[in-house]
Amino acid sequence: MADDKKSLALGLRRRDPELLDRLIEQYQYRLFRYLMYITGNRERAEDFFQETWIRVLERGHQYDGKSKFEAWLFSIARHLVIDWQRQKKAQSLDALTHPDEGAPMEFADDDPSPLHLVLTHESEETVQASLGKLPAIYREVLLLRFQEELGLVEIATVLSAPLSTVKSRLYRGLEDLRALIAGGPA
Amino acid sequence: MSREVHARAEQLIAQGRVEGISAADQQWLRQHLADCANCAARSGATEQAIRSLRGLSVALPPALASRTQFRVRMRAEQLRSEPRWRMVWAACGISWAFGAATAPYVWRALEWVGHRLGVPNIIWELGFGLWWALPAAVVAVILLMENAGRSTEADWKRLEN
Repeated sequence: MADDKKSLALGLRRRDPELLDRLIEQYQYRLFRYLMYITGNRERAEDFFQETWIRVLERGHQYDGKSKFEAWLFSIARHLVIDWQRQKKAQSLDALTHPDEGAPMEFADDDPSPLHLVLTHESEETVQASLGKLPAIYREVLLLRFQEELGLVEIATVLSAPLSTVKSRLYRGLEDLRALIAGGPA
Repeated sequence: MSREVHARAEQLIAQGRVEGISAADQQWLRQHLADCANCAARSGATEQAIRSLRGLSVALPPALASRTQFRVRMRAEQLRSEPRWRMVWAACGISWAFGAATAPYVWRALEWVGHRLGVPNIIWELGFGLWWALPAAVVAVILLMENAGRSTEADWKRLEN
């Protein structure tokens, strides 16, 4: 595993095009999903997706080959979103898709197949709606922990935040999500 | 059961999912959940929320990977040409430094050649100016050539999109 990370770091330093192609394929779903949930907008998520990989190419030498690649990848994506937001003079990540300020999150496919419609459970829609109501700072940590299966330290790396902040956000986010899904106040 | 017992159970339910709990706490929680319907329901709801979260799906835009790969390769091409640029600037810097250090000698040499050939002063003075401006002229030509290359690249990107 450590060797894999080291060879990955070496390939990134060399800007190996084959390696980058493979990484884009491999992480496309996870990265896009993460961006979708923190931006709440498909087109924006797609733009950030492409920009993230450009950054990976440009700053590949900064990956140390010790931490998980996905944690480094998500942190690049996150910084891009935050930078973009700062340019728009927003105060925090939360303002990006705050339920009280922004447009509702867009999760549905533009043209869902009949099979997709059949398979889309009502519960999934409820969860997505509940998730959309959560402030982005809580939504983000929940996704990193329970979808991406990142460890607490890795999440702290992605967020550039203390471990205690990560934990408190996770507890609060989980509690709010549970309450929202159960139909109670968040 | 006291409120403190339920509060502890609630805390352990969340802690178990977020950062894990000790075997002793797990044992205690299991026993409590077997006796307390409210806390058991809360634990079930928390578990359900996490399971639902894990089950969420997002549809990928068509050809997202291939479009990104194309952009990344274009940028990689651009980056490959950057070391050449560093060399150009370094060469210019050295050239200017050398030019400044040798300017009095070059001036005298051109003056001597000018007098020997009998050309008007303005001619060899212009020659001196030209000798000074040569590095800047070379950089300007390279910049113009590079910009022409970039606009072609932008056209390609537009076509791709």
